[in-house]
Amino acid sequence: MIMNRRSLLTTALTLGAMKAFPGLSYAQARPLVFATFTGSWEEAHKAVLVPAFRKANADAAMVLDPMLSVDQIAKVNAAKANPPIDVMLHDPGPALVAIGQDLVEPYPVEKSAYYKDLIAEAQEPMGPAPFFQVVGLTYNPEAVKTPPTSWADLWKPEFKGRVGITNLNSTLGTGWLVEIAKMRGGSEANVDPGFKALEELKPNLAAVAANPGALATLFQQGQIDISPGNFNAIQILKARGVPVEFVAPKEGAIAFKTTIHIVKNSPNRELAFKLIEAALTPEVQTTLMNPPYLIVPTNSKVTMGGEIARVLAKDTAELKKKFVFQDWKKINEQRSAWIERFNREIKI
Amino acid sequence: MGAAPASRDVTSYGMGLAAPLALFFLLFFVAPLLQLLWLSLHNDTAGLHWGLGQYLHFLTDPFSLGVLGSTLLLGAEVTAVCLVLGFPIAWLYQRVGPKLQTIIILIVLLPLLTSVVVRTFAWIVILGRQGIINATLQSLGIIDTPLKLLYTQFGVVIALAQVQMPLMTLPLITALGRIDPNLDDASCSLGAGSWRTFFRIVLPLSLPGVIAGCTLTYAAAITAFITQSLIGGGQMLFMPMYLYQQASTLQNWPFASAISIIFLLAVLAVVSVFTTLGRMSRGYGGA
Repeated sequence: MIMNRRSLLTTALTLGAMKAFPGLSYAQARPLVFATFTGSWEEAHKAVLVPAFRKANADAAMVLDPMLSVDQIAKVNAAKANPPIDVMLHDPGPALVAIGQDLVEPYPVEKSAYYKDLIAEAQEPMGPAPFFQVVGLTYNPEAVKTPPTSWADLWKPEFKGRVGITNLNSTLGTGWLVEIAKMRGGSEANVDPGFKALEELKPNLAAVAANPGALATLFQQGQIDISPGNFNAIQILKARGVPVEFVAPKEGAIAFKTTIHIVKNSPNRELAFKLIEAALTPEVQTTLMNPPYLIVPTNSKVTMGGEIARVLAKDTAELKKKFVFQDWKKINEQRSAWIERFNREIKI
Repeated sequence: MGAAPASRDVTSYGMGLAAPLALFFLLFFVAPLLQLLWLSLHNDTAGLHWGLGQYLHFLTDPFSLGVLGSTLLLGAEVTAVCLVLGFPIAWLYQRVGPKLQTIIILIVLLPLLTSVVVRTFAWIVILGRQGIINATLQSLGIIDTPLKLLYTQFGVVIALAQVQMPLMTLPLITALGRIDPNLDDASCSLGAGSWRTFFRIVLPLSLPGVIAGCTLTYAAAITAFITQSLIGGGQMLFMPMYLYQQASTLQNWPFASAISIIFLLAVLAVVSVFTTLGRMSRGYGGA
């Protein structure tokens, strides 16, 4: 065969294109794609959820494609008819955005074997919550001798210049502001009291972190001694030897539902359903509840144990009592205005 | 294709060689940029209604303009620090032996060999409450309570200056290397002191390098998302973070696009000022 320059170039381009866009060659038969979150979530899902799913489904092919909620929405939005993702994982705010933009299918509740076992707050017909994220008070036990008990403790004069918070870009920051507003007589629709409280908190503020991950660094560097924080993130820090402790404040720890959704027009609808089912099983949730993952389960058949039972709740009844769920539909309506206000008012 | 005509001028070259890169730029830079512009000209997030609403919103909002202003100012501060600290290093480099030259170039290049994230985290360790600076000052008894260095404008400027320093020093080293050392001697023998020689001979001749270094440092400093957000924190808002917030958290793509376009134009304006200065300096240097 004689290769001239033109045919060589065509071949090279074709090969290159196939490499760059593998979807060209097998658009119909791609494996199940699950967009989990990056970091500890990816690790937990790779180690526990994926093997459980494959065992129950004859080694069906699947890949994890970890990315932020907002990126998942952008990617699916860009190719609604042939989405590159089959299963999405979302915090409460982005979940409502995805549902509002018609990107997800209702969960086939009647077909599901585990949906009815989930605690009531986790039963979301557009996509159930296989896990909770819990936000409470985080503190450095070496510097803070009496453990805090309430959100109000952040305002104590002894924590002058020692408090860290995050801005409202994160679910944590926004959820916390709403909780503070509620403590002072506000609600999801009225966070004015929350902003007033923030104003009073300024002398105590050592740092406003750009994201919850940065709070961890600040604890490590002794820049802050107390802050609102995510239960899972704290466990990771603790495991690395950083002196931090988590307590659920008496007003209740903020619980975010992490919901899992079947993407509309997914070519792998059936497998997507099976993956979500696997995430709801008591077995998977129990494994994920144990160290090193410590992810809060939502299936009422799971017996709480270990650190979660010690710090958060011994059973679902106590969990319901101690957790506060927020109305993210209401929060989303005004969130951009709050972010703008936070940008303008919170200068330290 | 046939053989090249015998009369072809060997010093000319076809633009065809640039075609692959041009095509690449067209596809992956110009096209997205046009899409960005198109999106920014819509008043609603769905991109259905045309209008200049996003630009009006930004340009009539003192807060947004403040963010733009503080970002441009940050760039100026970082560039100034880099210039003041980088010039002596470049000057020294031209006046020491080859062994020291190797060491200097290694020190200058060292920051480029580690990732920006690592360098920025190192600065968190240095600037923190129990960081190196505070610990040293406290042990010397100069201060009682730790200074707040992290999450301040000062911290951001210092960290960015270190992170971007090579972009300033390398062009300066090149520019200073091109100056004929005999000119120094000539100036001295004609009676000028060292400072006079520096200001009348060395500085004007090195201006092209100064301009190049400033342009690179400035552009890199104002767009340094990682360093700005890690050292500056969540309440110090610069354009890259503002952009990220609007695009990612709020999904307000048209406004985010408008911010990008405005930011791009502002940076282009600053860079063109630098280039104009550069062109003028070339005339000056040649005179």
